[in-house]
Amino acid sequence: MAKTINEKKLTGQSISVKNANLWYGDFQAIKNISVEIPEKKVSAFIGPSGCGKSTFLKCFNRMNDLIPDCRVTGEFKIGETNIYQKIDVNALRRNVGMVFQKPNPFPMSVYDNIAYGPRTFGIHKRSALDQIVETSLKQAAMWNELKDRLNGSALGLSGGQQQRLCIARALAVKPGIILMDEPTSALDPISTGKIEELCEELTKTTTIVIVTHNMQQATRISDKTGFFLLGELVEFGDTDEIFTNPKDVRTERYITGRFG
Amino acid sequence: MTVLNAKNKEKAGKAFFAAAAVICVIAVAAIFAFLIIKSVPAFGKLGVFEFIFGDNWSSDRLDTYDSPLSGTYGIFTMIFGTFTATIGALLIGGVFGYFTAVFLAFYCPAVPKRIFSSVINLLAGIPSVVYGFFGIVFLLPVLSKIAPNNGSGLLATSIILGIMILPTVVSLSKTSLEAVPRAYYEASVALGANHSETVFRVMTPAAKSGIIASLVLAVGRALGETMAVVMVAGNSPNYPDGLFSSFRVLTANIVMEMGYAGEVQEGALIATGVVLLFFVLLVNLIFGFFSKKAVTASVKKQEKHKITYFNKQIKRIKNCVYSFTHKIGAVKICKGMAIGSGIFSAVALLLIIGFIFVKGLPQIIQKPSIIYGKYEFASENITILPSIVTTLFAVAISLIISIPIGLMTAIFLNEYTKNNNIFIRIIRRGIDILAGVPSIVYGLFGMIAFVPIFGGSSSILAGSLTISIMLLPTIVRSCEESLKSVLKSQREGSFALGAGKLRTIFRIVLPSAMPGILSAIILSMGRVISESAPFLYTMGSVISAIPNSVMDSGASLAVALYRLSGEGWYINEAYATALVLIIIVLALNITAEMLAGKLSKKLKGDNA
Ligand SMILES: Nc1ncnc2c1ncn2[C@@H]1O[C@H](COP(=O)(O)OP(=O)(O)OP(=O)(O)O)[C@@H](O)[C@H]1O
Ligand SMILES: [Mg+2]
Repeated sequence: MAKTINEKKLTGQSISVKNANLWYGDFQAIKNISVEIPEKKVSAFIGPSGCGKSTFLKCFNRMNDLIPDCRVTGEFKIGETNIYQKIDVNALRRNVGMVFQKPNPFPMSVYDNIAYGPRTFGIHKRSALDQIVETSLKQAAMWNELKDRLNGSALGLSGGQQQRLCIARALAVKPGIILMDEPTSALDPISTGKIEELCEELTKTTTIVIVTHNMQQATRISDKTGFFLLGELVEFGDTDEIFTNPKDVRTERYITGRFG
Repeated sequence: MTVLNAKNKEKAGKAFFAAAAVICVIAVAAIFAFLIIKSVPAFGKLGVFEFIFGDNWSSDRLDTYDSPLSGTYGIFTMIFGTFTATIGALLIGGVFGYFTAVFLAFYCPAVPKRIFSSVINLLAGIPSVVYGFFGIVFLLPVLSKIAPNNGSGLLATSIILGIMILPTVVSLSKTSLEAVPRAYYEASVALGANHSETVFRVMTPAAKSGIIASLVLAVGRALGETMAVVMVAGNSPNYPDGLFSSFRVLTANIVMEMGYAGEVQEGALIATGVVLLFFVLLVNLIFGFFSKKAVTASVKKQEKHKITYFNKQIKRIKNCVYSFTHKIGAVKICKGMAIGSGIFSAVALLLIIGFIFVKGLPQIIQKPSIIYGKYEFASENITILPSIVTTLFAVAISLIISIPIGLMTAIFLNEYTKNNNIFIRIIRRGIDILAGVPSIVYGLFGMIAFVPIFGGSSSILAGSLTISIMLLPTIVRSCEESLKSVLKSQREGSFALGAGKLRTIFRIVLPSAMPGILSAIILSMGRVISESAPFLYTMGSVISAIPNSVMDSGASLAVALYRLSGEGWYINEAYATALVLIIIVLALNITAEMLAGKLSKKLKGDNA
């Protein structure tokens, strides 16, 4: 019984944040942020370096738990569940996947990389895993590229392939939300294009929150955009609105390249 | 339900790892507690001052704590002897080691440098009894040509110890020399200084702290060295009053008399161990000071005050260049020293290994039964088969104990703790301290802690337990190093997929760290095989039949070599044993180095 309730609570796809604050020791990196992130859309966070974008993103899957001296207050809701109460963090992370700035495939085969998540949650049957690997790679649009080298080492792939593999790996546990922290900053334009297409495709089923330094990227792929400055979320709204008609003068200055 | 289970599993896992760390703490505490408690009566009876500063040692095994003493127990001659020998070793090994490091860092072409560096590392793995044996069969006969005696004494001891500390000095100094920013070199050359001037006026001064740290560490090694010294020092409890006078060091005192010691005598020997431990800890403290300074200095140089520091440095370089004209002769001498030392070190290495090979190989070829023959009591035919079996037992038992505990402690320290907790700091500190404790002190501890548990006589089990504790600190440290080398992004990747800590550790971290862990295991095997001082009075030193059980006593290969070389009748067998030892240890070291190489390659591949 307990299990079903738990799972039900952790399948939400929208994110709602109220009065969030975060400290690294004495340093406040997030200052009183409230925001509603809609489900099955791409939301982008932009802002100058060190303004707290990654930090904020990591609040959604509680990766900040790993950092000593990091303290979070405020309300973070995924669907209806407040994630900073007593919950199963691993179940949370199963629902809220993450893709990192630098591709981080595990030093194992392509197949095992993708099967890692499902295996974590108790799926060990070969046929089931085969199915998941195939679906995930297809979703990440790399099945044709990789179907013949499933047993080759993931470290042998190119940087762009590695990053898309990491996306496929995240998809394999069927998350409701995927967080991406500058997923294309280490990649060439062609790989970047592929990942951008992928993001649009994924919104059919998944909420995507992406941090990017590339404003064109934000305009190309995101439905909503948030502008961060010094730990504050200055403005969050429809992407068109933000880039054509920003409400805050700081946002305007940033997108027109006048500071940052 | 499954959620709950997973949680409990995580908790149990953490408790398990923490338990291993606690065992390490207990081991540290036990060593100190045992030695101190056991030495208190002796210090009380003999008087701390009289014991340390008395310069007459003539022990009487019949002395008891309840009756007046008939022997005298003052160890000052040995304290003096220990320090004289250490200074001698430093004059030889320190100087040659330093210049060899300079040679490798700045004068040696790349390929010979790689070979030379790994040979130096191999040298560090050669058992100390083999050095002692080399001293007996090669050095002493050479020295006896100019000595009034058989050549033993201060000079022989200093030379042997000097060669033994060479690898430590070379590899650590080389590391800190290579860490000096390349920009200094370029700045100096741009100002018109030539290569050697730059090396000796700019580069080596910049690496000063690291070089001093390497020398201090070498002093710690020399203070604690036992068997090699025992074999060439002569060991009579006098002040060394000439290059060839027989003298005794602190470690030797323990080895010479522990085997037959009476009540007060045993107490006095344990007290000797405590004094030795005190000096070694003092040296460790000093080492800690200098290596910290070296680290902060290089951090400063490279990161914080990059510009100001660099400007200062340039000014200094300018001043140096002005003074070059006056001291150009000194630089030339230094350059000569560097190249000469490099060659000397290479020759010394080849000499030791080559000599044992040339003398030992014919013995084994002529009489291969030395290795596998059946043991017969009082037979002319010595065989080392029982020693090989004993050694295998010791390796197996000690690794079964120390690897899991050491690895689990490392996992606890690296994966579960956030560094700032007092408890953790105590564990780390304790492990660091243990790593510097001389092996004879472990032997002493094993003798008073483990031997009584197993019926009062030495046994394979007691010896293996003793050596297990000795292995722990290095295993913890090197396992931690390999765990640290696993990229953080790998762990994050696993956590982000919802994997728990245990799964992340076992599926992601440990597989990546495996080559490093394996090489730690192999090096530990090498140490068990090489060590002799901790075994003498815990596992046994009599070459006898193949042991039937772990409760039997037996001499390991290294102990057997000590025995054979001391008796004089079995010198051929000793050569053969030494060769077998060297081959095993070199093979293990080469394997470990290859594994470590594989690890770094893998990590590089990971980054690409
Ligand atoms: N583990 C940490 N401990 C202490 N301070 C941290 C830590 N991580 C980040 N910070 C600080 O928090 C602030 C926000 O960092 P964060 O990484 O979230 O910025 P960012 O917006 O993602 O920047 P970038 O665009 O460069 O990735 C920075 O000032 C940073 O120095
Ligand atoms: Mg960031």
